[in-house]
Amino acid sequence: MTDLTRLALPRRRFLQGSAAAAAVLAAPGILRAQEKPAELIVRAWGGAWGDALKEGVGDPFTAATGIPVRYDFTEDNEIKPKIWAAVDQGRIPPIHVNWDTTTNATISALRGVTVDLSDLSNLEGLLPLAKPVGLDGYPIVNTYAYVYVCAYRPEAFPDGAPTSWNVLIDPKFRGRIALYDDGIGFNPISVIAGGGTVADIPGNMQPGWDFYEKLRINEPLLGEDADFTNWFQNGEIDVACTISVNARAAKQNGIDVAWTVPQEGCKVDTDGLWIPKGLPTNEEYWAKEFVNFALSREAQEKWCSALGLPPVFPGIEPPADLAGDPSYPTTEADFAKLVSIPSPVLVENQPIWFEKFNEIFQG
Amino acid sequence: MRSARGKAWVLWSMVILVLVTLALPTLVIIGASFTSGDIIRFPPEGLSLRWYRALWDLGGFRAALGRTAYVSALCTLIAIPVGTLAALALARRRMRFARTIQVYLLLPFTIPLVVSGISMMMLFGEARVLGQLWPVGVALCLINLPFMIWAVSSAVNALDPELENAAMNCGAPPVTVFLTVTLPAVMPGVITGALLMFILAFNEFLVSLFLTDSRTVTLPVQIYNSIRNVITPDLAAVSVVYIVVALAAIWVLDRLVGLEIFLKSK
Amino acid sequence: MTADAPRPPAPAHRLPLRWRVMDRIEAVAAALWPAAFRRATPWAFLAPALLLVGILLIGLGYVISDSLHELNPATYRLREEYSLGNYAAFLDRPVYLLVLWRSLLAAVLVTAITLVFAFPYAYVMVRTRSGALRKLLLVSLFLPFFIGQVVRAYGWLIILGKQGLINQALEGLGLPAATLIYTYPAVIFGLVQYMLPFAVLMLAPALTAIHEEVELASESLGADWLRTFRHIVIPMAKPGLVGASVVVFTLTLTDFAMPEILGGGTNDFIASTIYDMFFQLSNPGLASALAAVLVAVGSLIVALVFRVAGTGTLGLRSGS
Repeated sequence: MTDLTRLALPRRRFLQGSAAAAAVLAAPGILRAQEKPAELIVRAWGGAWGDALKEGVGDPFTAATGIPVRYDFTEDNEIKPKIWAAVDQGRIPPIHVNWDTTTNATISALRGVTVDLSDLSNLEGLLPLAKPVGLDGYPIVNTYAYVYVCAYRPEAFPDGAPTSWNVLIDPKFRGRIALYDDGIGFNPISVIAGGGTVADIPGNMQPGWDFYEKLRINEPLLGEDADFTNWFQNGEIDVACTISVNARAAKQNGIDVAWTVPQEGCKVDTDGLWIPKGLPTNEEYWAKEFVNFALSREAQEKWCSALGLPPVFPGIEPPADLAGDPSYPTTEADFAKLVSIPSPVLVENQPIWFEKFNEIFQG
Repeated sequence: MRSARGKAWVLWSMVILVLVTLALPTLVIIGASFTSGDIIRFPPEGLSLRWYRALWDLGGFRAALGRTAYVSALCTLIAIPVGTLAALALARRRMRFARTIQVYLLLPFTIPLVVSGISMMMLFGEARVLGQLWPVGVALCLINLPFMIWAVSSAVNALDPELENAAMNCGAPPVTVFLTVTLPAVMPGVITGALLMFILAFNEFLVSLFLTDSRTVTLPVQIYNSIRNVITPDLAAVSVVYIVVALAAIWVLDRLVGLEIFLKSK
Repeated sequence: MTADAPRPPAPAHRLPLRWRVMDRIEAVAAALWPAAFRRATPWAFLAPALLLVGILLIGLGYVISDSLHELNPATYRLREEYSLGNYAAFLDRPVYLLVLWRSLLAAVLVTAITLVFAFPYAYVMVRTRSGALRKLLLVSLFLPFFIGQVVRAYGWLIILGKQGLINQALEGLGLPAATLIYTYPAVIFGLVQYMLPFAVLMLAPALTAIHEEVELASESLGADWLRTFRHIVIPMAKPGLVGASVVVFTLTLTDFAMPEILGGGTNDFIASTIYDMFFQLSNPGLASALAAVLVAVGSLIVALVFRVAGTGTLGLRSGS
């Protein structure tokens, strides 16, 4: 009760005006429903990713509401079974908000463990990108787009950036190339690089598998975000397909890395936020407020600028170093140069593609 | 080659090779932890303690360290009686189904840790004990229990069964025989096993990942999660902190009971 | 006899405290576990361990039950009906068998190499007359444990990488650079280094139990040291050797971290595949089928080793 009177009024619509506040005071049931939790736990990626979330969303949210935010850096794939088990067993899930890839979030939505976010006030006016495709309502909300760029060591390319993904099968770079270890971010591109078109996906992936066979002979390293940074840093690789955020963070840390979008294009995808079912009412309420805040102009601007990614809030200027960068699409024309696969197609085919990818590279 | 000199030469060259292989990454990481640069590198760029400072300031580091010490201690305390008794039973008595039992007791090693972790998460979740620390200690004891059993078993050979019989014949009651004859004889195995259990628990991340959450996270899990995105020299600093603590513990052990206890029974 | 039994000549307080405590304990023990139960004593000793491992047995029950249901991709839940589809998928895709084979081969190689190097190390450590040397060898075994596997692998990258310390040295000598990391041999090497301390610690107590006089006798009868090793030391150390090989073999077979970080992503072991099935594909059915196969293969091999070589410690006394 007392801390409600001292409640720092949030800058945005946490309580819908003073009338709502009065209603809250009048109704003890609702009051309990909105009682502040001791903290909110947000699953996040670490490194540059986590720093951006803390700076752009977490810290301003805490300043506005007084609720501290704790970050859980468990990997996105590893938190998934933990949340699913908690929901299935009727336990309180280990986190309040999950920052997730749209594909993984969609899978959790299919499993039925996500809370509907349709009533968030800040959804209004966002770019269409924010709405998940092929799902009813908003079991997740997308927060920005990102691009799997072709990152390279300028030293190894004295004649300028590679213009085609064929650089990955160039024997000159044998053993000095890298991909994500599940083929994520490159599967559709391999189809195009192998002579197919976007229309071939997912019906005819063969050109992609043929391209992978050639790529395998070129002895790629397969890894995750941190591996790419290490490999660039220790001079193990010259080219990699990785998310622009990682390349940019590496560059900002003094590693000699640049990136480009080759002629075949790059895969563009989205990340989102979702809330697991099974939280106590008041915690779910404040988790929703957190997500709502992350969609506000203020948070989107800070968070996405730190990441160097185009937000779903319209009209935000790109950070100075990324103006005109092909890895920062803002217009229709920018997106047309990239390859976007609808998430239902990804969700349905990712397991099949993954098995095929594994078969080729582990064989 | 076949002479005594040949023996010394062959054995020593192998021992030195092993010593170098064991020590090399440790030395590189110790060196790299003192870098003043932003990346783990050897030789380090400049010397500084900035990453130790960063470690100390890191939110939750000390709490996570404390939790790790707690679960490791619990794991060891359970393992000592459970593993020692099992090893004595298996090694000293002729039992039916002994081989089957041995294979059964090796399940913690034949089941991949990922699978053990997930199934214990389901089981402990069902039992509503997930989110507490003690189940983590039990789980860590379980997944490494074969080390304790085998360490004690290896030492049982030093125990002459005639000695136990002699004590019995002189009228010593069973508990006395156990405490004064049996236990001292297998002590080196118990100490080795207990130390292994503690060390391994202190470093375990995969099973612990599924049994902790961000409020009960242990240090190895925290490290594992952080390296998924970025590797910074504070990780090297963590390793050095571990090593210093270990050396201190070994020194104390040596002063108290002598390191010989690992190799010789009383 | 108990502490409160009549004992006229010596007043009770004269008895040392230790005796009285021991008498109490014996009395309690005798009450709880009368001599008639003695035949069951080994089972009582075993019970806690059997119960503890029982937790994993329940887990194994989940695994086997999950492996018999296929995933429904529309809901990401396992279907109700029973099916052998996951096992069929395992047999259907040669890549799984290949990865299983790769793990098995690694387990055999790592066990063999580790034992060859751990044995002399343990032998020197046990036999040396210098206390300082013994301590050095012992401490060197424990320190690497404190560098976690992942950080250790990073250390190897610094040493073995394309621009690592060894390649820099080769370059300094005018030799061509070598690929030393992100290959199958690199994984084997990393695993051997990881397993060596375990193997030495399992071998040392077994070697301690062999009296040096036995070796001296053999040598005084004209056998050179190689023959003494072959015919005396190694057979007598069999319990330790069996223990060490079983531990190293099973741990390697189910290892997950080392192939992941020293294999460069293209040398995965079966545990990595199981991990991927669980986490990347969210398919616990298929993951469980692979896990069930792995546990069965591992346990069968261990049982076979026990059958052929005896269960280590059990062998020695009953044999001699």
